Amino acid sequence: MKLSEKLKRTFFTENPVTGLLLGLCPTLAVTSSAENGIGMGLATTFVLVCSNLVIATLKNVIPNRVRIPAFIVVIATFVTIVDMGLQATMFELHKTLGLFIPLIVVNCLILGRAEAFASKSKVWDSFIDGITNGLGFTFALFILGAIREVFGSGAILGYQFWPEEYRTILVFVLAPGAFLTLGFMLVGMNRISKALEGSK
Amino acid sequence: MAKNESAFRVIIVLVLIAFFSAFLLAYVNNITSGPIEENKKAETKKAIEIVLSTLTDYTYPEEPIAAEIDNSPVRYFPAQAEDGTILGYAIIVQGPNGFTNDFDMMVGLDSSGTVIDTYVLDHKETPGLGDGMTREPYKKQYRGKNLQNSNWNVKKDGGDFDILTAATITSRAFTGGVHRALLLFKKLKNEVNV
Repeated sequence: MKLSEKLKRTFFTENPVTGLLLGLCPTLAVTSSAENGIGMGLATTFVLVCSNLVIATLKNVIPNRVRIPAFIVVIATFVTIVDMGLQATMFELHKTLGLFIPLIVVNCLILGRAEAFASKSKVWDSFIDGITNGLGFTFALFILGAIREVFGSGAILGYQFWPEEYRTILVFVLAPGAFLTLGFMLVGMNRISKALEGSK
Repeated sequence: MAKNESAFRVIIVLVLIAFFSAFLLAYVNNITSGPIEENKKAETKKAIEIVLSTLTDYTYPEEPIAAEIDNSPVRYFPAQAEDGTILGYAIIVQGPNGFTNDFDMMVGLDSSGTVIDTYVLDHKETPGLGDGMTREPYKKQYRGKNLQNSNWNVKKDGGDFDILTAATITSRAFTGGVHRALLLFKKLKNEVNV
C-alpha cells in the first residue's frame, strides 16, 4: 500500500479515534486543550511505534498462547520509559498529562495494532503502521483539543484571544463537553471520509 | 504458529521478555532519575522565590521541616536572615477537599504572619474552572491578609474571599489551605514564646 493511501486511511476513513473509536479514554480525558492533545498523541505515537517494532521482530519467537501477556509487557515497558522521559525533560507537560500516561498501557489502539497488524507483518511495515496510526490519533486529539480550547477557554495553543473577564462556554472544558464535541466531530469526519471514498 | 508449544518454551520466552524490559527500565531510570529530582527541586525553589517575593537576603534549609495541623501533614521552610532571625515561612499545605482531591500548595508568610503570596504546586482541579486559582486575578485577594484582618471563609459561607466562577469547592479548598498555613504560623509563634 502506498504511503499516501495509508495516511489518508489513518487520518480519515480508518482514523483510530473517529473511524475505529479506539482509545477513547485518553481522548476524552486529556483534550481540554490543543497542547494536551498533541502531547498525549505524540506520547502514544512513540509507544505505538516502539511496541510495533519490537512485536514485529519477535513475532516468531512469542508463543501464541501467551502473546497477549507478552505484548502487554512490551507496551508497559515503553509507556514507563515515556513517563520517566517526559518527567525528566518536559516537567510542565508531565504535570498535566501525568495521570493519563500510565493509562496508555490499556489504550486498545496499541494492543489492537499489535494484535491485528504487527504480529503478522514485516518489521518495516509495522514501523510505518505505527507512525501513520499514531499521527492519525494525534491529529484527532489535536482537532478535538483545539475545538474545546477555542470554545471553552477562548484560547488556542495557550494564546488567549478572548479576554479572560468575558464568559466562555464552560461546558466545553468539562467532561460532558468532550462527549458533545466528539459526537459532532464524528459526524464531520464521517462526511469527509465518505467524500474521500466517493472521489476514488 | 507452532502447534507444539511446550510449557518450557512459553516460560522461557516470557521470562526473557520480562528480564529485558526490566533491564531496559533500570537503564532508563538510571539516566532520568537525576534530572527528575532536579526538576522537582527547581520547582520548589521557584515556588519559594514566588511566595517570599517581598523578602530579601534570606536562606532556608535544603529539606523542609515536617509538622501537623488539623491532622493534616504540613512541611515548611523557615526563611532566616544571616543572624538567625526568622523573616518568614514558606509553608507547603494541602488544600483540603478540592474538587478532585486534596492539592498541594505553598503559602509564603512574613514574620508578622501576613500572606505574601501563594503558589499551587500540584493539582488536578478542572482545567478552565478550578485552575483559575493559579492565576493572578484570583490569587491577589490573599496578599496582605492574616488571621486578624480577615474572616477565613469564602463569601458564600459568610467570609471575606471571592470564589472562582463555577469553582466554589476549589475556592473553599484554597482558602482552607491558606488558613491552615496561618494556623501553623500561630502554633510556631506560640512555641517560640513559651
